[in-house]
Amino acid sequence: MAHDLGFWTLQALNALQLSMLLFLLSIGLTVIFGLMHFVNLAHGSLYALGAYFAASLAAIGGYWMGFFLAPVAVAGVGILLYSGLIKRMRKSGPMAQVLVTFGLIFALLDLTRIFWGDLALAIEVPALLDGRTAILGIEYPTYRIFIIALGLFIFGALAFVLGRTQIGAMIRAGVDNDAMAACLGINVERLFFIVFCVGCALAGLAGVVAAPLLSVTPDMGLQILIPTLIVIVIGGLGSLKGAVTGSLIYGFVQTFGAVLAPQLASVLIYALLAAVLVIKPVGLFPAKG
Amino acid sequence: MFRHNALRYTVLVLLASGALFQAFTAEYFGLEILTEILILAILVLALDIVAGFGGMVSLCHGALMGVGAYAYALFSTKAGVAPPVAMGGAVAVTGAAAWVIGAIGSRSHGIYFIMATLAFGQMAYSYVFQSPVFGGDDGLGGISRLDLSLVGIDLTDSRSFALFCLAILGAVYGASVLILRSGLGRSLTGVMHNEQRMRALGLTVWRVKADVFGLSGMIAGLAGTLAAQHIMYISPGLLSWTVSGEALVVVILGGLGTLVGPLVGAVAFVVLKHEVSALTSYWHLVVGVILIGVVMSRANGIFGWVESHSGAWIERRLSDATRDPEPEEAVSDA
Repeated sequence: MAHDLGFWTLQALNALQLSMLLFLLSIGLTVIFGLMHFVNLAHGSLYALGAYFAASLAAIGGYWMGFFLAPVAVAGVGILLYSGLIKRMRKSGPMAQVLVTFGLIFALLDLTRIFWGDLALAIEVPALLDGRTAILGIEYPTYRIFIIALGLFIFGALAFVLGRTQIGAMIRAGVDNDAMAACLGINVERLFFIVFCVGCALAGLAGVVAAPLLSVTPDMGLQILIPTLIVIVIGGLGSLKGAVTGSLIYGFVQTFGAVLAPQLASVLIYALLAAVLVIKPVGLFPAKG
Repeated sequence: MFRHNALRYTVLVLLASGALFQAFTAEYFGLEILTEILILAILVLALDIVAGFGGMVSLCHGALMGVGAYAYALFSTKAGVAPPVAMGGAVAVTGAAAWVIGAIGSRSHGIYFIMATLAFGQMAYSYVFQSPVFGGDDGLGGISRLDLSLVGIDLTDSRSFALFCLAILGAVYGASVLILRSGLGRSLTGVMHNEQRMRALGLTVWRVKADVFGLSGMIAGLAGTLAAQHIMYISPGLLSWTVSGEALVVVILGGLGTLVGPLVGAVAFVVLKHEVSALTSYWHLVVGVILIGVVMSRANGIFGWVESHSGAWIERRLSDATRDPEPEEAVSDA
C-alpha cells in the first residue's frame, strides 16, 4: 500500500474537522426544528453572516474580537428574524416555511453583497493557532486541531446542558410534547426563543471558525446548506445524537470517499442519504420515535 | 378535482393571446424572453401537478428538467438519433427516473419528502458535474433543434421556435388537465387530503404517488428537451437545486394548485427578473422580499388572491351558474 498510517491519520483528522464544522451548524438547525417544527433554510445564510461579521471585526480588533463578538451579532440578526418573520410563520406548514426562508436566503445573499461587495474576503489565522502541531505521529495544522477541539467542547457542553440541567430537561420535554410541557408550566415560547438564539449564535460561530479556512464569499451559505441538511436528515431531526452522528458520517464519507473513489465521492453521500430515507424515513436517531 | 371556472378561462385566453401577440410582433430579444417564459411554464405545470394536487413538494424538478436536457443532448449528438426520437427517449428516461424517485419518496412526508427529492436532485447534479461523458462543468454544446422542414417550419428561426414551444405548452396544459381529471388525478388529491382513508379504501398509495410523479417528470423532461434546443447548449447549472427552488417560487407566486396560477407566475417571474436586473444587479433581493411578502400574506399567490377576491364576482357576472362561489378551501383542492 502506497499510503502509510500517517496518511490515514491525516485523512481521519480532516474528516473530523469537517464533521465538527458541520456539527456546529447542524445542531442549531436540528434543535430548532425539533423544538419549533420550523425549517430554517436561511441557517446557512446566518453562517455566511457570521463569517462576514468576523471579517469586519477582525479588521478592527483582530481574530479573537471576531471570534467572540460575531456569534453575538449573528444571534442579534436571529432575534430580528425571529420577531419579524419566524414567530408569525410558526403555525404554517413546512412548505410555507421553506419558501419564506428560501426568500430570506435570496435577500440575505444580496444584502451581504451590498454591504461587503462581491469580492472574497480573507481572515488571517490568529498567531496563537498558526503553524503546525505534532499529533498522533503527524504534523497537523494547529488551527484545524482548534476546530476539532472547539466542536468537541461544544458537543460536551450541549450534552451536559441538554442531559443534566433543568433547562435541558425543559427543552427535551418541549421537543417531546410541547403542549404537555406548556401545561406543566414551562414557558415554551421563551424556550423557543432561547434555543433559536443559541442556534443562530452557533451558526455564526461556525462561520467564524470556517472563515480562515475558506474564503468568505456571499454564496458560502448556499454551499454549506445542502451538507447541513443532509446531516440532519441522516441523523434524524431534533436530537443531539443525530446531529453528531450525521456530521461524523458526512465528514468521513466525504473525506474518505474523495480519497478512495474520487469519481463517486460526490454521489456517494447523496446515495447514502437516499438509502437512509428508504430504510428509516425519519433518520437514524430522531428525537421522537 | 381540477375545475375550470370563468376566471380561469378568461386568464387562459388572455395569456394565450398575449403570447401569440408577442410571438408575432416581438423582435429577437422579446422572442427569447417569450421562449424562456414558455419553457418555465411547462416546468412549473409539472411541479404544480405534484405539489398542488398531491402535496408532494419537490425540490428535484429542476434536476429532472436537466436530466431531460442532457438525455436529449446525448441521444441527438453522441448517439446520433434523430431529434424527434431523441426527444421521445429523453422524455421517457426522465419519466422513468421520476417514477423511481416518486416510488422511493412515497413513504416520506412533509419536510422529509422535500429533503429526499433534494437529495436525488443533487445526486444527479454532482454526477453530471463530474462525469466526463456529460462534459463535466463545461457542459455540452452543438445541440440541434427539431427539424420540421417537412411541414414547412424552420425551427432555427426564433419566432417559429417560440410558437412551437407555445404549441407544446398548450398540449401540456391539456394533458395536465386530463391527468388531474382522470381516476389517477382524483386518487392523488384524495391521497393529499387523507392518505390513511385512501389506503383504507383499498388504494395502493405508493403507486398513485409514483405514477403521478413519473408523469410530472415526463413533463419536466419535455421542458428540458426544449430548454436544450432553445439555448443549444447545456451546463450542469440546469440541474442545480436553486433551479428547482426557483420553480417552486414561481408556483407559489402564481398560485399553488390552480394550474393557471403557475402560468401567471412564470410570466411575472421572468418579466420581473429581466426588468429588475436591468435596473439593479440585486434582483435576488427583490424576488426574496416579494416571495416573503406573498407567503406571509397567506394568499395563494397572485392568481389565488385574484381568484379568492374577485372570482366570486366574476362568476356571478359572466355565468348564471347557481353553484356557490368557491371560497379558499375549494380553491386549494380544485
